Amino acid sequence: MTEPDLVKTGIAGLDDIFNGGIPRSNVVLVEGSIGSGKTTMGVEFVYRGASQFDEPGIIVVFEVSPEKLMRDTLRFGWDLQKLEKKGLLKIIFTTRDVLRQELQQADSVLLEESASLGARRIFIDGVDRLLGSGAPESRSSFYVLTEGLQRENLTAILAVDASTFRGKMAGSLPEESIADTVIRLEMEDVHRAIFRSIEIVKSRGQESQMGRHAFRIVNGQGIQVFRRVQAPRPPNQESHATYNPNKRLPTGVPGLDEITNGGYCLGSTTVVAGISGVGKSVMGLQFIAEGARRGEHSLMLSLDEQVEQIKNNARSVGIDFDSSIKKGLVRLEYEPPQEIDVDVHFHRIVEIVKEFKPKRVVIDSLSTYGSVLGTKGRIFRDFFHALMALMKEYQIAAVYNHENPEMLGMASMMGEFVMSSLVDNIILMNWVEIGDSLRLAMTVAKMRGNPVNRLTHECEVVQGQGMRVLPREPHKSEQPFSNYAGLVSRSPERNTTKIEVVGVRREDPATDEAA
Amino acid sequence: MADKSPTIGKEQDDARLLLARVPLIRGACELDLLGFLRRHPRSLLTSEQLAVFVGYDMKQVAKSIEAFTEAGLLGRTKNRLHSARMYSLELNGQQGEGLARLLELAGTKQGRRDLLEVLAPRQSQQSPVDAVH
Repeated sequence: MTEPDLVKTGIAGLDDIFNGGIPRSNVVLVEGSIGSGKTTMGVEFVYRGASQFDEPGIIVVFEVSPEKLMRDTLRFGWDLQKLEKKGLLKIIFTTRDVLRQELQQADSVLLEESASLGARRIFIDGVDRLLGSGAPESRSSFYVLTEGLQRENLTAILAVDASTFRGKMAGSLPEESIADTVIRLEMEDVHRAIFRSIEIVKSRGQESQMGRHAFRIVNGQGIQVFRRVQAPRPPNQESHATYNPNKRLPTGVPGLDEITNGGYCLGSTTVVAGISGVGKSVMGLQFIAEGARRGEHSLMLSLDEQVEQIKNNARSVGIDFDSSIKKGLVRLEYEPPQEIDVDVHFHRIVEIVKEFKPKRVVIDSLSTYGSVLGTKGRIFRDFFHALMALMKEYQIAAVYNHENPEMLGMASMMGEFVMSSLVDNIILMNWVEIGDSLRLAMTVAKMRGNPVNRLTHECEVVQGQGMRVLPREPHKSEQPFSNYAGLVSRSPERNTTKIEVVGVRREDPATDEAA
Repeated sequence: MADKSPTIGKEQDDARLLLARVPLIRGACELDLLGFLRRHPRSLLTSEQLAVFVGYDMKQVAKSIEAFTEAGLLGRTKNRLHSARMYSLELNGQQGEGLARLLELAGTKQGRRDLLEVLAPRQSQQSPVDAVH
C-alpha cells in the first residue's frame, strides 16, 4: 500500500493532529463564526506553502481588500507582498457572483491564473453565500467548485461562516458531505473568558486525532494548535511510562531520605499533601536545591507564586537559586492560574521538559490546578494523567504539592482529588495540637513498591535552614511523637501502655519519665 | 493663530508636481480607479462591478481602463466570452514610481483633497459625458 501524499499545512501543531498533513488535493471546509480564525488559518496555509514548501498558492477574497490583508498579516510576520513579487502568491479580489459564473466555465479565468502560477494551494475566504444555504443548486455549485479545484490538483481551504450552519448537525449539509475534510473552529465562553478550539470533524483518506483541541492566534507567528491533553499518546511513549526502582534522588530534606528508603525514584510521582503553611513549598525548594547541588537539572513550576517570590522564599531557608539558574541547572517557571487553557499549558510544560530535560520537577500546586480546571470533571484527572505520563516518559522524579484543606488531622489523603491510587508516593503533612502548641507532623503514607513504616515524624522549618525531620527519640523538652498515638487523627493521645512499633520496643513514657 | 496657508500651498505644489509626472490622471475617476486598483491589484470583476465599486459612471470607468491598459499600467484578460476580467495593476513601468508616490498621497484624506483641487480645472475642460460624476 502506498503512503498518501500528505500536504503539510505548516501551521504549528495542526499537522500533528492530522497525523502528518492533509491528503493532497483534498477540499477542506473550515467552519467557524466571525472572528474564529478562519481567514488566518486559510491565509497561513497558503503562506506556509509558498514560503516553506515551495508550493505557490492563491488567495481569493470577497470582502477584504488585498491591501488590508497584506497589512494585517504583517503582524504575524508574513510578508505576502514579497511572495507576490517572487511569483509564489496571487491574491485575487472578486465577487461571489463572478466566482459562481466562473465555476460554470471550463476555461475559468481563476483556474487559468492558478495554472499560470503553478499553484498547489488555494484559499477561498467566505464561500458560504456563494453556496447558498443547502438548496439543490448550492450542492451543485459546490460540486462544480470542488471539481475545478480537483482538476487543477489544488489542495484547497474554503472558509465558511458557521452562522450558515447554526443549529444543524455536522454532516447534515451537502457541502460538508462533499468536502473531503471538515474543520470546525469554535470560540467558547467560559466564565467570561474565550477559549478557541479546533476539531477535525472528518478527513477523507487518513486518520486524524478526534476531539476538540485548543488553538491560539499569536502575534509574530500565526496559528498554534495544541493537541488536546486527553488524546491518547503513541504506544511507544506509553511503554516508558514507569518509574525506575533502582535510581533514587535524595530529597534534600534532612531526615526524609531515611524514611523514604533513600529518596524518590526516578520517574516516580510523589504528592505532598497538607494545609497551607505546613512547609510543602519549602520541601519542594529543598528538593530542587539538592538537585542543583548534585548537578541535576531541576525545574519548579508554580501557579501560586511568581519567580521572584519563589527566589525570596528560597533565600529565607538559606537557598540562593541565582547561581544555579545562571549555570542552567535550575529553572523556575510561573504561569498565572487565571484563564489557563489546559492544552496550551500542557504543551508549554512538554516544551520545557523536552528542552530543559530536568531530572527533578516540583509542581506547586495541584490544588491550584484543581481550582482552575475543576476537580469533578474529567479534565483535571486527564490533565494529571498526561502530566504523570510525561514525567515518567522523561524519567523525572516529580513532586506535586497538594493543599489539603484539613488543619488538624486528615480524614482523606487528597480530599476531593480522587487520585491517590494514581500516584506512587504520598507524604502527609499536618499540624498536631499537643498541649498549647501546634507541632508539624509528617507521615509517609504510601511508597509504591517500597515498604515503609508509616510512622509519623515530627518536622520543623528553621529560618535560614529549611525543613528537617526530627528524630523520634527525645530531642527537646517536649515529648517526642513516639509517645503519642493518633497523631494523624484530630486528637492525639499520649501512650500509657507498652507498644511495639516496627520491632522497637517502647516503654510507657510516663514510666520512663518517672524512672 | 498660525497661518497654515504656506503649508497647504506646499502640499498642493507636491500634488501638482506628482500629477505632472502622471499625465494619465486627468480627473477624479482615474484617481479613484487607480486607488481602488492599488488596494485590489488583482481583481476578477465585470466592468459594471468595477464601476459600482469605484462609484463612477460606467462609460467613464471604461474609458479610464482603456487609457490605463494602453499605457501599460493595467493588464486584463482578453476572453470576451467571460463577463468578468482579471485586472492586474502593474506599477513597475515607466510611470510606476511617480504613480506609486501619487497613490500614496491619494491614500490620505488631505492628499486626495489636494489632488482633486489640482485636477478640478482639468476636469472642467473635459466633455460633459466625462464629467458626469
